[in-house]
Amino acid sequence: MKCIVVTPEKTEVETEAAFVAIPLFDGEYGVAPLHTPMVGRLGAGELRIKIGEETESYYIEGGFVEVSNDVVSILTSRLLRKDALSLADSEEALAAAHAKKAGDPESMAEKFAALRNARARIRVARKWS
Amino acid sequence: MAKARALDKRRKSIQSTRKITRTMELVASAQFRRAMERSLAASAYTERIAALVGDLARAGMKVTHPLLEERPERKSTALLVLTANRGLCGGYNSAILRIAHKRLDELKADGQTVRHMVSGNRGVSYMKYRDIPIDESFNQFDHHPLFEQVNVIAEGLLSSYLAGEIDRVEVVYTRFVSLSKQFATLETLLPLSELADAQNGEAETKKGQVDYEFLPSPESILEEVVPMAFKMKLFKCFLDAAVSEQVARRTAMKAATDNADSMISILTTTYNRARQSQITNEIIEVVSGASAMK
Repeated sequence: MKCIVVTPEKTEVETEAAFVAIPLFDGEYGVAPLHTPMVGRLGAGELRIKIGEETESYYIEGGFVEVSNDVVSILTSRLLRKDALSLADSEEALAAAHAKKAGDPESMAEKFAALRNARARIRVARKWS
Repeated sequence: MAKARALDKRRKSIQSTRKITRTMELVASAQFRRAMERSLAASAYTERIAALVGDLARAGMKVTHPLLEERPERKSTALLVLTANRGLCGGYNSAILRIAHKRLDELKADGQTVRHMVSGNRGVSYMKYRDIPIDESFNQFDHHPLFEQVNVIAEGLLSSYLAGEIDRVEVVYTRFVSLSKQFATLETLLPLSELADAQNGEAETKKGQVDYEFLPSPESILEEVVPMAFKMKLFKCFLDAAVSEQVARRTAMKAATDNADSMISILTTTYNRARQSQITNEIIEVVSGASAMK
């Protein structure tokens, strides 16, 4: 099974994988080889790709996943590698999300999305540290 | 010796100018290569988004989204002009500004209110010179625009579009086709008509190939794909502009270097002639002086 992760700026990961665990909008979703074709909306969280016996982890935030013909394509707007994610930064992001002003339904939704992302980021950072 | 010395001085100053233009040409070359790589890397995402929309259409999804619909009445337009931060890149900026100015006049004649958005110091100073008020300006984009920076602008445009503050988003930028072909152009980003067209065509030709499972639903996916497609399109404009700018600068600097070369060779010839005739004159003086002594 092939696994491709692209961000708007570049293709971050392109590899053969034995198993991929994807953070969907409502929880984790596992994809093994020969998975049925699917398209899903991503949430924020940890993306794990098992290559042989090794497992690689990334933090991703939003986007889509498409599985077809034994290829998992992950389109995400943001990807952070292990060395780029720190707990302190994530906590700062959470504080910034809390400080956001929300006067109408739209900005409210925006604020909640930011909070959700920041919390997911902290969770992943804690897990990695 | 006065004339020869003046010529020599001029030649030296041109030589140092040549050194500068040559360096700028090399720098632009290197930056062009980097910008090009980034632009190519970014196209992977765009292609996949397009494929995804095609898949959605094939799944029998009727594609409707507020961002795709043409509004019957146009009252206000946001015009984003992408220029360079610096000059010395030939006709790059003036070509863009010519189109932008023409479009502004058209919009004004149409009685629309225009939100002026300008990226790049060159565009900003042009607008100031022409007394055109600027609503938003950016100069943080150099030879490599980051998605995160573009995202901020895109979010702002999306929210004012959805709130009905603007009915159209247009961008003037230099499209990069190939190394030898770039041109300034005006493109409409919102409403995103292209997305719907491309995908209706595709839906007819390849109907019913793969049955996808949608999580949570095709509607929900579409709801997120469409704004993302817009953001990518805007990002692509910025990347194209960055690549084209470096190409334009390289060409301009190469022309300047070549020009300096030919000037140097002309000056060298003139200098040598002047020197030679001076020496001849002196010899004649000496010889005629000697023969007069006899």
